Amino acid sequence: MKSRTVAIGLGVLGVVFVIIAVLYALGVLQLFTSTTSGPHYKHAILFVVLAVASFVAANFARPKTA
Amino acid sequence: MGLLQGATELFPVSSLGHSVIIPSILHWQFKQSDPTFVPFLVLLHLGTAGALLVLYRDQWVAIIRGFFTAAVRGRITTEPERLAMLLLTGTIPAGILGVYFETRIKSLFASPYVAAAFLVVNGILLIAFELLRRRAEQRTAVHSMTRAEQEQSFAEAERISFRAAAIIGACQALAFLPGISRSGVTIGGGLLAGLRHQEAARFSFLLATPVILAAGLVEVPQLFAGGVPVGEYLAAAVLSGVAAYASARFLLRYFRSGRLDPYGFYCIAAGLLSLALLHFGL
Repeated sequence: MKSRTVAIGLGVLGVVFVIIAVLYALGVLQLFTSTTSGPHYKHAILFVVLAVASFVAANFARPKTA
Repeated sequence: MGLLQGATELFPVSSLGHSVIIPSILHWQFKQSDPTFVPFLVLLHLGTAGALLVLYRDQWVAIIRGFFTAAVRGRITTEPERLAMLLLTGTIPAGILGVYFETRIKSLFASPYVAAAFLVVNGILLIAFELLRRRAEQRTAVHSMTRAEQEQSFAEAERISFRAAAIIGACQALAFLPGISRSGVTIGGGLLAGLRHQEAARFSFLLATPVILAAGLVEVPQLFAGGVPVGEYLAAAVLSGVAAYASARFLLRYFRSGRLDPYGFYCIAAGLLSLALLHFGL
């Protein structure tokens, strides 16, 4: 599915995932974690991977010039 | 433990289940509720991941190169590029489920009864996968061919859909349950997606590597912080890797014409026997 709108949406999603990853790594975000304090590196790594996947998907969705 | 884990990790018989059940039955001095037990198992898994990296070193170079090439270009043109994106797609559901359900699943680790029960479930799953595969073989009218010919009529790992890769990846999360085999459910998922047995095994092994490495990166520091005998644990990890390498070579050869159901029957028998031994305290 090639669409500029989809590509922008996926890019924004990637940025959101990066922010969430940073918040988990700094211990600011404690959403759905086993402990209520400290950094959560496993969650941070997951969101980094999700961010990478989103940016890759955005590049795939971007209409290419010939 | 290293040899046990390495030998059982890639066979579809649940290394985690065996690592929980066998020490309990043999009265080995492992405290399964100890906070270093799971990181120790992860260290053994790292040995396995190392073996898989060695076994597939050329493919991993092509996959990593393919990933960056396709990601930058925004288009898939070669099979390694497609395989790289399939592996990324398959890793995400396992990662999400693993991260968010880890704590609840870990609480099950300490129970050999649970592991033995899930081993039986694993056996039933493996047999079910093969029954569904045999139906597919009948539908495609390949049942009159030899086994090797039958297998050739199914697809290679690079040919599966991205949806199938995601479903296989999600199946991988089931392996956080002790007794459910990661390779078993992912090979089974690959069979349902139309792969040859050997290709399903290859995809399963490739898919397992990033998850095991990521889990290791996070858990291993806890192991070293706990004041455990690091030298012995590292020796166990090396033994695990050696056993895993030999297992992988054997399985790739076996799956040229072999099926999952012998392992299914083994899991059911081993699970029931373990339950009996644990119940009667033998």
